Amino acid sequence: MMNDNVVSFFSEAPPYQALNEKLTYLLNFDTRGMMAFVVYFVAAFVVVNVMALIGGLGTYAERKISADIQMRQGPNRVGPFGLLQFLADGVKMIMKEDILPKAADKYLFFIAPILCMVGVFATLAVLPFSSGFTLTHLNIGVFYVLGVSSLVGVGIFLGGYSSNSKWSMLGGMRGASQIISYEVPVTLSIIAMVMLGGGLNFQTIVDGQGGLPHQWFIFHNPFTIISFVVFFIGMLAETNRAPFDLPEAESELVSGYHTEFTGMRFAFFALAEYVEVFVVCGVAAALYLGGYQVPFGLSSLEFLHTKVGLPMAPARMIGQFLEIGGFVTKTVLLYYVVIWIRWTLPRLRVDQLMTLCWKYLTPIALFNLVGIAVWIYLFNGESMWNLVFKTGAAAAGHH
Amino acid sequence: MFDNFLFLSSAALTVCGALAVVLAPNLMHACTYLLTTLIGVSGLYVTLSADFLAATQLVVYVGGVVILMLFAIMLTGGNDNKSVNKFGIEKVAPMGNAKTFTLAGFSALIMALVILKIIANVNKATPKTELPPYETTVEKIGELLITDHVLAFEISSVLLLGALIGAALIARPRRREE
Repeated sequence: MMNDNVVSFFSEAPPYQALNEKLTYLLNFDTRGMMAFVVYFVAAFVVVNVMALIGGLGTYAERKISADIQMRQGPNRVGPFGLLQFLADGVKMIMKEDILPKAADKYLFFIAPILCMVGVFATLAVLPFSSGFTLTHLNIGVFYVLGVSSLVGVGIFLGGYSSNSKWSMLGGMRGASQIISYEVPVTLSIIAMVMLGGGLNFQTIVDGQGGLPHQWFIFHNPFTIISFVVFFIGMLAETNRAPFDLPEAESELVSGYHTEFTGMRFAFFALAEYVEVFVVCGVAAALYLGGYQVPFGLSSLEFLHTKVGLPMAPARMIGQFLEIGGFVTKTVLLYYVVIWIRWTLPRLRVDQLMTLCWKYLTPIALFNLVGIAVWIYLFNGESMWNLVFKTGAAAAGHH
Repeated sequence: MFDNFLFLSSAALTVCGALAVVLAPNLMHACTYLLTTLIGVSGLYVTLSADFLAATQLVVYVGGVVILMLFAIMLTGGNDNKSVNKFGIEKVAPMGNAKTFTLAGFSALIMALVILKIIANVNKATPKTELPPYETTVEKIGELLITDHVLAFEISSVLLLGALIGAALIARPRRREE
């Protein structure tokens, strides 16, 4: 049984099959593998570039929103509303001198930013943008995300270590210990959602939810709301966002683990961070907020093809784009909240950070897991709204 | 063809990484080469269609064990001689000498012979056939863990609980005796 992916989505379309037959006839060998490779390559290329663009726009959004919160203007010179500021920054980063500290460990200094980038971009393979346009709906998608994103922790630690500077070292150590600690409550919250959805595949979890808020897993029962809050806090800590940005606390550590990095090496760290925030917001949207589900089934073939009367091919494409719209809207809203929190709350101390993780979030997440399991067992996995509607209907005399 | 490519690249990653680990003069570098080996092994699991095991390999080894090793090497300073600075970066002596390499080579040879002997029996017993079609292993592993292997599962969780309590006990601030 193969899992759904972008190739299986396209290969259902007649033009794709026709092209495949033509190529097989012309080249005298079975071209299915080659076509799949080309589709994967193009899709991966598009996803990586779009996400890099989103990472760039993330820096712009961060500066613009912080400016709003602090009653300033923010970047407004390059392009309309300063929108092209991130491109100007990118050019500046490339032109900068690439400084390699004399006492640094050159090999580790070289691979640390790359490890961060690889860890983040590898998660994009399973991020569920829509039912068809995801690179692959891996059977173990959620688990895979947890696995590859831990490379980021290694990258941050090595970045701090290889610089041979006290501040970087402290930042790197804080980063690694923080990421490892907060993985516990985050994973426990995710496990609860996996239980509700009945699978480690993002597609299974998203399909278990609906387009409207009362069908989302976040409002499934009282425990899932707590689970979402725990997940969100843990997620902020895992991506080193304020109020948990201790690894790069500028008042104590200059700039933390990337103090010694200049030019594009620094840009790699920054880009990895902004893309990672988008990825974890996307994971939160998929697990709790219905992912790519669109209200009232507007993106389904049944609606677009049968009821509206669009031809098959455009109906499928429009459906997919509606789903991407739904997913990106939820993710960007969460992204806004993340930035909003950064410019609102002061930074925690290290001991407060560990207290919050081990004394509050982990026990809460554990009891939550048990609570959700009991709920599923008692009410057969039904959401509290369904129960309320049923009792209401029974009280109104519907038998 | 794609399976072969995946297998060959994973195997190459594993072997090259392992060789680099042994030959690297710097302990910290050796740790990052170990990372390649572990990712290669996870790739090998994927070619055997053990998807859950591959992801577990990533979560446990990349996310946990390697970081633990990095911390341990950093905090202990790599090795004892004074040619290292306090972060253990510069002038690390090559790991091992002629004696250790000979011993290690000898034991590797014995291990390889034993493993090949076991594998030979398996190969003789099962005729070579086509690989079975790919299917997910998550459900099977989950079922087996709470039915047939529930004792092993529980014992390992008790072990982990013991480790957790031990860590808490060691890390607890001691009351000063006056």
